Amino acid sequence: MIMKRTILTLTGIVLAFFTMANGQFERALGKNIPLIFSSQSSEELQGVINQLERISAAETDRWESHYYTAFGYLQMSGMYKEATDKDKFLSLAMDAVKKGQKIDADNSELVALEGYVIMMQLVIDPGTRGMTHAGAATETFYKAIQLDGKNPRAHYLLGRMKYGTSQFMGGGTEDACKSLNVAKELFESLEPSTNPILPSWGKGATDEALAQICK
Amino acid sequence: MKTLLLLLSLATTSAMTFSQTISGVVQDKSEQPLLGVNVYVQGTYDGATTDIDGGFSFQTDALSDAILIVSYIGFKTQEIPLMSVSQPIVVTMREEINQLDAVVISAGSFNASDENNREVLKPLDVVTTAGTTADVPGALNTLPGTQRVGETGRLFVRGGEGRETKTFIDGMLVHNEYSPTAPNTPSRSRFSPFMFKGTSFSTGGYSAEYGQALSSALILNSKDVAGSNRTDISLMTVGTDVSTTRSFENSSLAGKVQYTNLTPYFSLVSQNLSWDKAPQDINGNFAYRVKTGKSGMLKLYTNLSTSRMELYEAEIHDPEVKVPVEVANDYAYFNANYRDFVTKEIGLRTGVSITKSHDFAARNMASRTRDILGFHTKVVADYQHSDRLFVLAGGEVIGQNLDQELNDGEAFVQGINERMAASFLEVELFASNALAFKAGMRGEYSNLRGDFNFDPRISAAYKTGESSQVSVAYGSFRQLTADQVLLNNESAAQEVAQHYIANYQWVKDGQTFRIEVYDKEYHDLTRFENVFDPTTYQFNGSGYARGIDLFWRDNKTVKNMDYWVSYSFLDTKRDYQDFPGSFTPAFASAHNFSVVTKKFIDEIRSQVGVTYSYASPRSYHDLNSDEFMSGRTPSYHDLSFNISYLYSSQIIIHAMVNNVLGINNIFGYEYANEPNDNGIYASRAITPPAKRFIFLGVFITLSKNKGINQLPNL
Repeated sequence: MIMKRTILTLTGIVLAFFTMANGQFERALGKNIPLIFSSQSSEELQGVINQLERISAAETDRWESHYYTAFGYLQMSGMYKEATDKDKFLSLAMDAVKKGQKIDADNSELVALEGYVIMMQLVIDPGTRGMTHAGAATETFYKAIQLDGKNPRAHYLLGRMKYGTSQFMGGGTEDACKSLNVAKELFESLEPSTNPILPSWGKGATDEALAQICK
Repeated sequence: MKTLLLLLSLATTSAMTFSQTISGVVQDKSEQPLLGVNVYVQGTYDGATTDIDGGFSFQTDALSDAILIVSYIGFKTQEIPLMSVSQPIVVTMREEINQLDAVVISAGSFNASDENNREVLKPLDVVTTAGTTADVPGALNTLPGTQRVGETGRLFVRGGEGRETKTFIDGMLVHNEYSPTAPNTPSRSRFSPFMFKGTSFSTGGYSAEYGQALSSALILNSKDVAGSNRTDISLMTVGTDVSTTRSFENSSLAGKVQYTNLTPYFSLVSQNLSWDKAPQDINGNFAYRVKTGKSGMLKLYTNLSTSRMELYEAEIHDPEVKVPVEVANDYAYFNANYRDFVTKEIGLRTGVSITKSHDFAARNMASRTRDILGFHTKVVADYQHSDRLFVLAGGEVIGQNLDQELNDGEAFVQGINERMAASFLEVELFASNALAFKAGMRGEYSNLRGDFNFDPRISAAYKTGESSQVSVAYGSFRQLTADQVLLNNESAAQEVAQHYIANYQWVKDGQTFRIEVYDKEYHDLTRFENVFDPTTYQFNGSGYARGIDLFWRDNKTVKNMDYWVSYSFLDTKRDYQDFPGSFTPAFASAHNFSVVTKKFIDEIRSQVGVTYSYASPRSYHDLNSDEFMSGRTPSYHDLSFNISYLYSSQIIIHAMVNNVLGINNIFGYEYANEPNDNGIYASRAITPPAKRFIFLGVFITLSKNKGINQLPNL
């Protein structure tokens, strides 16, 4: 009888530890996600990224913190003007994406973000990098859509890529608008996720892009 | 059992309530505080980011045997057992050497690749420069350190002859890399620039990996596995080509077949030469790339071509008399290349190349047939000891079987089999991100003379500021002497050059400035009275080439516009061949200048390019003068223009014209073999084959991905 109770208690303690640990991850990540978007300076953003990296280092089986680390570095590269600085942070973003993909190889969100990084690398020097990066970015977005056709961010990013291509090469924006509209519909029809740490950005950006490009 | 529970609960409570503050400061080697460093306890979320004074402080429940991690971009991550330090903790970070920030030894070399923003030239530039018609040497001729030698089309670098520049594809030597041409007309490289992802053009002081080149190494790196399928069709005034790329999961196959026939063009645009059969050429390129294992890559490449031309050339002493000239060449080049990592630190490259070339040239009743079988095999290992120390070591065997038949009614046959074994070792050391050294040694054994030679190469670079650096290089280089000399005397000494180079480079956000000074000392050059008489050979010729190269590139100041300016000053003299003393050779000009501009004009959806080139007068030997090399050509000017119009996203129309101003350029003079009755040697100016070259083409891309077209190819 005592034995049984002991085991029960022990299991209880262990379970409590687990759920606590679990909740801790969500809480810590949940606290930092909004800070990525609200950071005003690169120092502030680096602080947030550092916290995300600490979380990643402790949680070796979670891809989400790597996702946001990458996203943070993408934001960071936008804060700099020099191409070498931009490249430095984009390559750190790509490192984080790859780390996440080691944990979850076929994650549509991570693949879409990978394409995003390639697209931003392309923007730094489209004349030179167009040949390699334009095709790679487009293909990566299609891969993300293939993995999850209902990922609105993949459609939004593909739309931006198509728009960029049409600007550089000539041609209409219909194709780009088609993708952006798919993204819009998906954003609107999507049930709000109960999991606050899953990627949810992009609705505002999609509306903005539609208003600008597809009037 | 009660005791167990008690113990357990005690253990848990103690683990949970043991809380402490960890604080300290993070600095670099020179005790400057570092801002933004990530300091945390391994396996927990507990940590902090350092402030402007490098300080950090945070609470943690971690046990006393925990490990503190300190990580910062550009520095080595440190792991510090908390037990081993007392608070406040002072952490000194060591810089990590990384490719983006580290100094690069730039003395003597121009790199073109997509991978680094600090590259002076992009692969694309080769094909978008007006006046170069997508010819790699043509585009490199707009860089400082090169000489314009319009009648050859070859790369003459810093007072060196054309043959002193060697071409390597993926590290493997190419024999006979230029297409055949009629006498005194410029040749083109056989290799299409579209196949390469990067080009490294070294005007001196290059790595110990490359040998048998006195002046310059042109290193072309081929593309990796292609990601998408595409087919390109080009219709041009000079011919047509079709290329296609198929991409598979881990491999890709690319092929390009090009047919060139200048007959229609020559019938429309008048030529200085009277052609019987205008140049015709069929050229096929095939490349297969496959990823093997986790990190391996195998590349197979082959180039096959055949070309023919026939014309009538006027005799110099009597322009009414025309003699037939025929030029033909069959060519095959094969290159296999494999690279992989043996361990994380050790990489291995190995390759083999084979060149087979059959040349036939006839003038009137005399002919020359030349067969070359060249091969090269190489193994290179690179070892990364740390982020500060790299070692490169390798060995290679280079061979050439050359057979020549001269026939003027009677056949005269000569042949030679060259074999060369070489090994090289190079060590690169980074003292910091700002200071790097490289030292190399190359040892070579040649079968012809049976001698061993050692050539040291050393260089260093120092970063003088955020965007600027200086570098210096010294090296000893050697090369077998001219083929015709070797055919007559197998044990002819190798020619030697010593390079001394100092370079300053400033690169910032779309702008590049470079200045380089150099001194090149030649020894053991071949001298003779008559190249066909080996008894007159002496191997004690000498010479020098000194100069300054300037380069400025800017794609920032004007939107959508990119331009670069090159200037080279060259002072060179040689006592070699049949020179009666020390003279400036005929191919050298003291001042070379060029401006290349490119602008994309949105309104007309076109890229427009203009290139201006200038070379100061060259010397030539006037046979009617008692003084050697007393003649001076006029200076050389060329203004070229090109435009690429985006008709639709997959169709591009391209037009190019050179010498827009119609200047009569003269490269030198050639003389009759015998004086006429008045004792005067008749002469003729060496000029371009036509006043202008006009090129028109339509380039069509077929691909599912509409974002792809041939624009990057133009």
